[in-house]
Amino acid sequence: MRATLHLGLRGLRAHKRRLLGTFLAVVLGVSFLAGTMVLGDTLKSNFGTLFANAYAGTDAVVRGAGSIKADAGPAGVRAPITASLDQRVAVLPGVAAVAPSVSGAGQLVGADGKPIGGKGPPTTAGNWVTDPALNPYHLVQGRAPSAPGEAVINRGAARSGGLKVGDTTVLRAPDPVRVTIVGIAAFGSADGMGPSTFTGLTLADAQRYLLPRAGEVSTLLVKAAPGTSQEQLVRTIDTVLPAQDEAVTGAQAAQEDTTNVSSGFLSVFTTVLLVFAGIALLVATFTIHNTFAIVVAQRTRENALLRALGAARRQILGATLAEAVAVGLTASLAGLLGGIGVATGLKGLFSAIGMDLPTGGMVVTTSAVLVPVLVGTVVAIASALLPAIRAGRTAPVAAMRETAVEAVGGSRIRTVLGAVAGLAAAALTVLGATRGPSVALTAVGSVLALAAMIVLGPAAASLAVRVLGAPLPRLRGVSGALAARNAARNPRRTAATATALMVGVAVVSLFTVFGASIKQSLDDTVNRSFAGDLAISAPSFGAGGSGLSPRIAPAVAALPQVRNVVALGSGVAAVDGHAVKLDVTDPKALTGTVTLGATQGAVAGLGADGIAVSRAVADRYGWTVGQALPVAYADGSHQSLTLDAVYTDAGVVGDYLVTPQTWAPHRTQDSDTLVAVSLKQGVPLAAGRTAVEQAVAGFGGPTVQDRAQFATSAAAGIDMMLSVVYALLALAVLIALMGIANTLTLAMHERTRELGLLRGVGQTRAQLRSMVRWESVLVAVFGTVGGLGLGAFLGWALVRATDSTRTGSFALPVPQLVVVLAVGMLAGALAAVRPARRAARLEVLRAIAAP
Amino acid sequence: MSARVEDAVKIYGIAATQVRALDHVSVEFPAGRFTAVMGPSGSGKSTLMHCAAGLDTLTAGSAWIGGRDLSTLNDRQLTLLRRASVGFVFQAFNLVPTLTVLENITLPLDLAGRGGREREADREWIDSLVDVVGLGDRLRHRPSELSGGQQQRVAVARALVARPEVVFADEPTGNLDSRSGAEVLGLLRTASQELGRSVVMVTHDPVAAGHADEVLFLADGRLVDTMSAPTAALVLERMKAFDRPPVGSAAR
Repeated sequence: MRATLHLGLRGLRAHKRRLLGTFLAVVLGVSFLAGTMVLGDTLKSNFGTLFANAYAGTDAVVRGAGSIKADAGPAGVRAPITASLDQRVAVLPGVAAVAPSVSGAGQLVGADGKPIGGKGPPTTAGNWVTDPALNPYHLVQGRAPSAPGEAVINRGAARSGGLKVGDTTVLRAPDPVRVTIVGIAAFGSADGMGPSTFTGLTLADAQRYLLPRAGEVSTLLVKAAPGTSQEQLVRTIDTVLPAQDEAVTGAQAAQEDTTNVSSGFLSVFTTVLLVFAGIALLVATFTIHNTFAIVVAQRTRENALLRALGAARRQILGATLAEAVAVGLTASLAGLLGGIGVATGLKGLFSAIGMDLPTGGMVVTTSAVLVPVLVGTVVAIASALLPAIRAGRTAPVAAMRETAVEAVGGSRIRTVLGAVAGLAAAALTVLGATRGPSVALTAVGSVLALAAMIVLGPAAASLAVRVLGAPLPRLRGVSGALAARNAARNPRRTAATATALMVGVAVVSLFTVFGASIKQSLDDTVNRSFAGDLAISAPSFGAGGSGLSPRIAPAVAALPQVRNVVALGSGVAAVDGHAVKLDVTDPKALTGTVTLGATQGAVAGLGADGIAVSRAVADRYGWTVGQALPVAYADGSHQSLTLDAVYTDAGVVGDYLVTPQTWAPHRTQDSDTLVAVSLKQGVPLAAGRTAVEQAVAGFGGPTVQDRAQFATSAAAGIDMMLSVVYALLALAVLIALMGIANTLTLAMHERTRELGLLRGVGQTRAQLRSMVRWESVLVAVFGTVGGLGLGAFLGWALVRATDSTRTGSFALPVPQLVVVLAVGMLAGALAAVRPARRAARLEVLRAIAAP
Repeated sequence: MSARVEDAVKIYGIAATQVRALDHVSVEFPAGRFTAVMGPSGSGKSTLMHCAAGLDTLTAGSAWIGGRDLSTLNDRQLTLLRRASVGFVFQAFNLVPTLTVLENITLPLDLAGRGGREREADREWIDSLVDVVGLGDRLRHRPSELSGGQQQRVAVARALVARPEVVFADEPTGNLDSRSGAEVLGLLRTASQELGRSVVMVTHDPVAAGHADEVLFLADGRLVDTMSAPTAALVLERMKAFDRPPVGSAAR
């Protein structure tokens, strides 16, 4: 055991440089993993602290009992409660103070006329709670609002909007409210509740602008008298509440909010990041495996000598594994440190695209330390296992042989196996994409396809390098010819090197194709179903923004240039037990401007006791026209709605349509998400647009777009997501490139004498560098082209497989894919810089005399 | 004069560990002559060849090839000089394993970018070289498919293809059996006599030296003797003198 360890560590010391690539691959992969976990834990804790602080002085919350949480919403929607309840609660024993609280969405307009925030974090408005014990905010400047139109805003919003005490601006609630800022507030010592914004109005203003009906508030905040516990307080309050209301402790309210964020937004967020960390680690595995395979091959004679001297197989295997463990462990520990940096970097990345996350100290949990170190070490060991077994099998006689024996090509069995797997994968994938469609089938096919690519690698590599390298001799003379031959001399190694890049590029192209197809689908949907001329919207993302003022539609409808206007509002309800987002609209106006495709029943005839749903939804739940659907609302009321119509094109209007009459009794804060406008015959678009823009200018300056702009902006979110995905994949691609550089360095080491010979017979340093560079480019192009092909194919399959209604589109974004190819080539050249420079620096004499 | 060194001094290491590998050596390698350089291990014979060929630099003195002072050339100029004016045959590993026999032979021309019309002009010359080394039927083979002797013959053809002023051969027969060795030596002799090249061969094998026109004997970095019209027996006789103490110290 001692000898084994000793040998392994000696090997490590002797080949430090060779294992540098392995080390870096593990460091990067582990950094990403650790960074993701640290960021997740940190955010969770930050959110927890945030909500705990928000309810710090609140011992009980009185609120509507029912809550409906549709997929999109960050928190469940609750109905408001009767404001006069506070009188009843205030007189209860153990109650020290009660404050009515109103909260809703309200986006401030900054000094520059642009809305503040709206790209993720909530933009909130409410009443300024006058009891400091129940208000998590406290004034740092100015005073509390006391008259209509006065507002306190949080310091963060003031800063990013360039607003100060005394300024007048607009609050989109979403109906524009002119407010004068009379105070600036802080949230504890922070500028706000995380990156969210808050506007505090007088209670009367808040009720008027943020709630649909007079005499209601969102919740009651209750403070317990000394000696009364939160639980006791809640029990006491419960005795006086009507059935549709409930009381919970402050601690529970904070906990619920935290859970909402961590199981919703945060879990999606960290899962996505973990997937990319997994891809980076997968790529790292290929790189590490390849390095160890080469190092073991190069050390054949050394290992054979040890075997000849009496070393057991197990000892040679152990020595190689010991090396892997040492590299894996040290690299993982280094990666852990890197993880802190990655966490910071990721946060920066998201804030760079406007998606601010709450701040606070880094939280490093035990699992965020142990898991990455364990994963990194296991990846290193697993990658080295096969080469180590091969090393153990070294025959002692190999010590006497002139050259190292290494299988360079793919065996016939391997090629046949790969071909069979490839065909099966293609069949499964295509079947999943066309029949069914079945995402599961396609997913299995995709994984199989990747495996087939790896198995087929050597066979594909020798073919591809021959084809891709064919023009090189003509382009680069004998250096080009040598580069092509070098890339082809060990197809197994070339394939293993290129596979890492192939995986990275495949994922990149898959997302590119998928993104482009979604954009194309949106574009097609808008073209197909949006028959209007102009669209008015208030772009926002996540929980941000407050929507459009409901008074926009009537204002635009009054214009002489306008033929038809339809507004889409939104609501939530549980339809047949499924919590969903409703689109609320006037069906007659809707059908004048929006085409819904093939329709069963008449959407235009939708009544106050009716509902229309998309074909996708109807098929999923097996609903048919004429059927009665039970609908439950957040306020506890139930209703039976008749399914009046089923329509095909849900892109613009969503999956569930109800009339404003149906929704009105249950509505919370009024707002529209989209107002679509059709101009009268003969009105020029420019003129109509100017008129509409003037008409809506007073409503907080929403965006007015023509059809093409509307289609583009609908897809804008996709581009943002893609850029994040590219940034996350950059790491995997970087690891793959380091793998290429590392393989090249090892190959140069192997070919020292050959390089010396070439220099001896008159190859200039520039020619030698060019030779190395082109070899690298060839390997990179092979990996890139393979990845592009695989990614585009799987992209197509996934697009088809996820499109159950057959209304989506497929797009092959050729320019982007060409860019990926060019980047791959360039990256190959870049990866060769260091190995080429080192090879060119070799002294001729020493190189020729090398062992 | 094809190649020469004047008052060549080469010192390795510094201070206490200093070794004087060449100690004021002046020799000429004229065109058309096959010169063998002999001496015991550490006599400086390899150093002399490396410095004369521009693979290594002198500490003092000068080395010339075709009228050009090697010390005035930078790495690129030296490389181009090697490509155009110097041919090399090494003891082992003479051929690029990924290239065919023919490609290995034409490698210096290819590196110089001599394709197209120039290649047409070279064609006859290449054919005649292939004839001389007698590997016409092996041109498309890879080096790994050749015997050691065949490989060295390809190396000689490669060394001659650019019509260099001088061919340096470093123990070209060191790894060969006597028959293959004789073939290679015969080729080197042809190169000097029929093609008029200057051929310089470093060897420790008296039989090989016997094929040369002239043998230079080095000991302790100094040129100690020359022998014209050598035979293996005469050379062996002379070499035995080095083994007798106190002449020569084998330590280096």
